[in-house]
Amino acid sequence: MMESFYDVMRRQGISRRSFLKFCSLTAASLGLGPSFAPTIANAMENKPRLPVLWLHGLECTCCSESFIRSAHPLVKDVVLSMLSLDYDDTIMASAGHQAEAIVTEIVEKYKGNYILAVEGNPPLNEDGMFCIIGGKPFVEQLRYAASNAKAIISWGSCASWGCVQAARPNPTRATPVHQVITDKPIIKVPGCPPIAEVMTAVVSYILTFERFPELDRQGRPKMFYSQRIHDKCYRRPHFDAGQFVETWDDEGARKGYCLYKMGCKGPTTYNACSTVRWNGGLSFPIQSGHGCIGCSEDGFWDKGGFYDRLTNIHQFGIEENADKIGMAAAGVVGAAAVAHAAVSAIKRARDNGDKQS
Amino acid sequence: MTIQTPNGFTLDTSGKRVVVDPVTRIEGHMRCEVNVNDQNIITNAVSTGTMWRGLEVILKGRDPRDAWAFVQRICGVCTGTHALTSVRAVEDALGITIPENANSIRNIMQLTLQVHDHLVHFYHLHALDWVNPVNALKADPNATSLLQQSVSPSHPNSSPGYFRDVQNRLKKFVESGQLGPFKNGYWTNPAYLLPPEADLMAVTHYLEALDFQKEIMKIRTVFGGKDPHPNWIVGGVPCAINIDGVGAVGAINMERLNLVSSVINATIEFVNNVYIPDIVAIGGLYKGWLYGGGLSGKNVLAYGDIPDNANNYETANLMMPRGAIINGNLKEVFPVDLRNPDEIQEFVPHSWYSYADEKKGLHPWDGETTPKFELGPNTVGSRTNIQQIDENGKYSWIKAPRWKGHAMEVGPLARYVVGYAAGHTEITDQVKDLLGRLNAPVDALFSTLGRTAARALECQWAAYKMRYFMDKMIANLKAGDSATANTTNWDPSTWPKEAKGVGFTEAPRGALAHWIKIKDTRIDNYQCIVPTTWNGSPRDNEGNIGAFEAALMNTKVEVPEEPVEILRTLHSFDPCLACSTH
Amino acid sequence: MSNQAIGNSKPARHVPRTRPIDRNEVYVYEAPIRLWHWINALAILTLAVTGYLIASPLPSLGGEASDHYLMGYIRFAHFAAAYIMIIGFVFRIYWAIVGNIHARQIFLPPIHKAKWWAGIIYSVRWYLFLVKEPRKYVGHNPLATFGMHFGFIWLTVFLIVTGLALYGEGAGYDSWQYTFFSSWVIPLFGQSQDVHTYHHLAMWGMVIFVIVHVYAAVREEIMSRQSMMSSMFSGWRNFKDDLPMDKDH
Ligand code: HEM
Ligand code: HEM
Ligand code: NFV
Ligand code: SF4
Ligand code: SF4
Ligand code: F3S
Ligand SMILES: [Mg+2]
Repeated sequence: MMESFYDVMRRQGISRRSFLKFCSLTAASLGLGPSFAPTIANAMENKPRLPVLWLHGLECTCCSESFIRSAHPLVKDVVLSMLSLDYDDTIMASAGHQAEAIVTEIVEKYKGNYILAVEGNPPLNEDGMFCIIGGKPFVEQLRYAASNAKAIISWGSCASWGCVQAARPNPTRATPVHQVITDKPIIKVPGCPPIAEVMTAVVSYILTFERFPELDRQGRPKMFYSQRIHDKCYRRPHFDAGQFVETWDDEGARKGYCLYKMGCKGPTTYNACSTVRWNGGLSFPIQSGHGCIGCSEDGFWDKGGFYDRLTNIHQFGIEENADKIGMAAAGVVGAAAVAHAAVSAIKRARDNGDKQS
Repeated sequence: MTIQTPNGFTLDTSGKRVVVDPVTRIEGHMRCEVNVNDQNIITNAVSTGTMWRGLEVILKGRDPRDAWAFVQRICGVCTGTHALTSVRAVEDALGITIPENANSIRNIMQLTLQVHDHLVHFYHLHALDWVNPVNALKADPNATSLLQQSVSPSHPNSSPGYFRDVQNRLKKFVESGQLGPFKNGYWTNPAYLLPPEADLMAVTHYLEALDFQKEIMKIRTVFGGKDPHPNWIVGGVPCAINIDGVGAVGAINMERLNLVSSVINATIEFVNNVYIPDIVAIGGLYKGWLYGGGLSGKNVLAYGDIPDNANNYETANLMMPRGAIINGNLKEVFPVDLRNPDEIQEFVPHSWYSYADEKKGLHPWDGETTPKFELGPNTVGSRTNIQQIDENGKYSWIKAPRWKGHAMEVGPLARYVVGYAAGHTEITDQVKDLLGRLNAPVDALFSTLGRTAARALECQWAAYKMRYFMDKMIANLKAGDSATANTTNWDPSTWPKEAKGVGFTEAPRGALAHWIKIKDTRIDNYQCIVPTTWNGSPRDNEGNIGAFEAALMNTKVEVPEEPVEILRTLHSFDPCLACSTH
Repeated sequence: MSNQAIGNSKPARHVPRTRPIDRNEVYVYEAPIRLWHWINALAILTLAVTGYLIASPLPSLGGEASDHYLMGYIRFAHFAAAYIMIIGFVFRIYWAIVGNIHARQIFLPPIHKAKWWAGIIYSVRWYLFLVKEPRKYVGHNPLATFGMHFGFIWLTVFLIVTGLALYGEGAGYDSWQYTFFSSWVIPLFGQSQDVHTYHHLAMWGMVIFVIVHVYAAVREEIMSRQSMMSSMFSGWRNFKDDLPMDKDH
């Protein structure tokens, strides 16, 4: 018999009432109305656990670290009662060929019925040998594990976009998952790392509603990635008022003014930080005084300094932003016009002189 | 054929070769190969870092003030320690000082990491080497409750009903046939020695610790905005403090300080009531398994960390010990100079990198990172399907760092050995107390278990030091100083044309340093030597083996096909491969 | 039918270009064009100034946030001017269809005609002081047409498209701006920040256009054989001599 999430909660001494409360909290955190709570409750009570293979490529494991910080649901409940996390080299008991055997078993036994979660990405240079698993390139393991998967979750900016190892000059040719696996539905959950509760919400959404969340054009769940940090930032009134932190620890910093001038990328970053916030809703980068660095956006490493408002434009060299380029060009054109005017005037004077003489 | 290594190990490659790839329950990707003789004793060990991302290459030409964010992504497990090391390196290069409060906050964040990382490592990465969750099903919850009360009388969760609940949950889990992360474990291996009650207690704490660890990191979320990967700045910390002014709600205020304070208290309690008693209980039952000493009784290295007062990185001001011990001589602690070109050097004859002259080592200020993937002639298999690595050729993405030519072990045990030798009283008291409770000699420290025990002691030490810095900061605020950042040299136009610096920390896994060269306000060279670079180091051109390889030597494996003992010893270092190769 | 026409006192369409010039004045810029020109010029001025201030805001104000709305007003001015510019541009396209022949000149440069390209070269030579006399045109000279088409029309389209894409981000998923612009423009550029960057860069493109354009207008008023600046006020183009028109455009 498979144990359901509800069984677990009951045995933990959790009353039916608090269980239902949990379900409505989950519904709320998923951005769903309270009417969805019974659906969630039903799902939690009856579902067997969905097999998951969680692979790691080139990455830093911060996505896993974030995942274990989830407060609702607790990660212990996710792992013991919601999913069957059959392969995850960071926490699994077995190693070596006993570990590798699990991938084969799941791929064969659960054709089309398991989820492949990917943290990190495959490097393609050097025949993929910048990331080796079982003596072979990681990209082979990835392709094999994807072959029978129902869908893929690309955790974090590594799997979704490439992230830090793909920053210029991307020495290993680290490549996001969707560019390697092109024949499976892929849910991107970007962020470096993504918020824990967003990660577990995506998982519970799939389990609860037996479908994938609605995605935007870039493959991200709309429920968490359809607005910018800036749209829901609690410092927004200071932005609108024109009240900015001008230097670290100045008067404005101590009053919680807007961090726009310190390079905040909130206006260009789609993520749920300013609403869901981090570590159980405690804070998020801006609340703790540092601008958003845009960590859930494609290529955010290569957009210029984290403390500059204006982006670098690489075609013009590493340190050039739109103002530098534009002002320089306008300056040149302006100077040319002045020079041209001067020559014109001289010429006209001379021509007039010619006519008069 | 036997080879004698200069650092005192006898390698024999004649026996059966056992390959473990992937090595799991670590961060990142690693492979291990050992030879075992007919008594199943390891006679040769090879450890291979199997990933590389090229952060040192990526950093070239970037703004030094951004470097922390890049290097922080070297690792999400020891998250932030690289960032701290980086801002220190940049501050060192540019002569930037930080305010006292920034020092306290940075220390609290670093200590929080130590506590968190050690706790998670022990329960979620290491414990399954000693604890058998399947065996826990046989436990009597009443007896487990008694055991819990005897090892930790003040832990509130100790009733028979509590343990019965956990056991039932575990039972259903196992009966479901979907074993999840416990699948294919070595649960019938004779190397597991705990009675079912101890197994049940430990599994229960696996779950408790999983719940609790996320609380600890709230501290870093308050100061750094999120965790993993909180935010830092060169010149201080980004969070401003405002305890009573207008708009204080927009900064670190009394409510935030209270939050941090209460988490610190809960952390101290958890470590005292759960982690330390478990180490004593489990350690006591495995006391006879004294393999895995490796380099720990010979060569250990620590850089020191946790400056008491801001901007003073002298040994005397560092609350974590600093120094090197050579050839097991605890009577002499050598000073360590990170700037001296002859002390720390990295070698690549067995690493997948090329140097102009591979016979030489390079000091990190002149370091080079040029990848070169090639396999030795005796590799079994092919370039993209390695069945057996050839350790006589290049065989790892990890470079081989050496201190004055010596392979060194770093980490909690190294710090505790250096601290013990240096007469660091907090450390000697803790060590003597633990050895007394286990009734074990000092030499027992130089082992796999010693490493695991030192980590627990350090976790406890760090928890108390969090309180120390919290109190210190409050006193400073009371005295009227609420500064958190120094922006005098924030603007690159104030920088010299060329500068170089080094920053160091004691990361959870050991001594960590970053060396930076700045030219025309941009990064000219950036080199990291990371704890797992030291411990996971491949051989050097003299043939010295690194700490992982040394620790595996002479270990008996009960069932060579089930590498529990190999995992035990490797895990005792808490390997982090993303860190080691970066 | 000829592609060239000369107006007379009454705005007339499709007057054969071969018709001899009977007076030294031609009606070129109809009133709506003139009105559009000056409204557009003001809108762009506003957009450039406010756009610059959006990217590099003024020094901070003290006091309560609820007492101020400076950034809000600047952004509002930007968006208001933007919509004026957009509506004007749509109108300008409409007028290109219904207006006189000059009204479509900058939309349809005769890039398929070698003579037109030769005219550009001639104009360039004139500006480089290599020829003594400029040619005489009723509408824009070929170089001006070229500049207007590529340096103004397309730049304007670019600014409008990227601007609306940015606007859609704030207006939200359900807005028409998001649906018709943000949804494809942002992925096309990679991410939102890149759209800001190129929108911003395009501002500088427009600034350069205006510098060159205003300089040329003033200079041609003085140096060329026809009126310039005043034409944009009165609509009439005065010719300073009776020599025949150049026929390449
Ligand atoms: C933001 C500023 C401006 C923009 C974007 C702009 C744009 C334009 C455009 C698109 C045309 C072509 C009209 C058509 O053929 O439909 C034009 C014509 C003209 N503009 Fe402007 N204009 C600006 C400012 C000015 C100013 C300040 C002056 C006066 C000093 C000026 C003088 C003229 C003149 C004289 C013409 C007619 C040129 C000719 O026939 O070749 N413009 N302008
Ligand atoms: C001549 C035309 C225009 C110029 C020169 C101009 C200039 C600028 C500049 C320099 C910025 C700052 C970009 C940055 O670095 O973030 C900006 C932002 C913006 N512009 Fe424009 N713009 C023009 C037309 C438009 C149009 C037609 C729209 C359409 C609605 C528009 C909408 C916006 C929006 C929404 C922003 C972002 C505001 C914010 O981030 O708060 N702009 N513009
Ligand atoms: N080795 C290592 Fe780290 C640590 N501790 C870094 O410096 O883990 Ni990822
Ligand atoms: S996305 Fe960021 S946090 Fe996640 S693994 Fe990659 S680098 Fe780490
Ligand atoms: S702090 Fe950043 S996200 Fe918040 S209002 Fe200011 S610019 Fe927007
Ligand atoms: S930096 Fe990342 S964590 Fe959120 S506020 Fe910005 S997306
Ligand atoms: Mg290095």
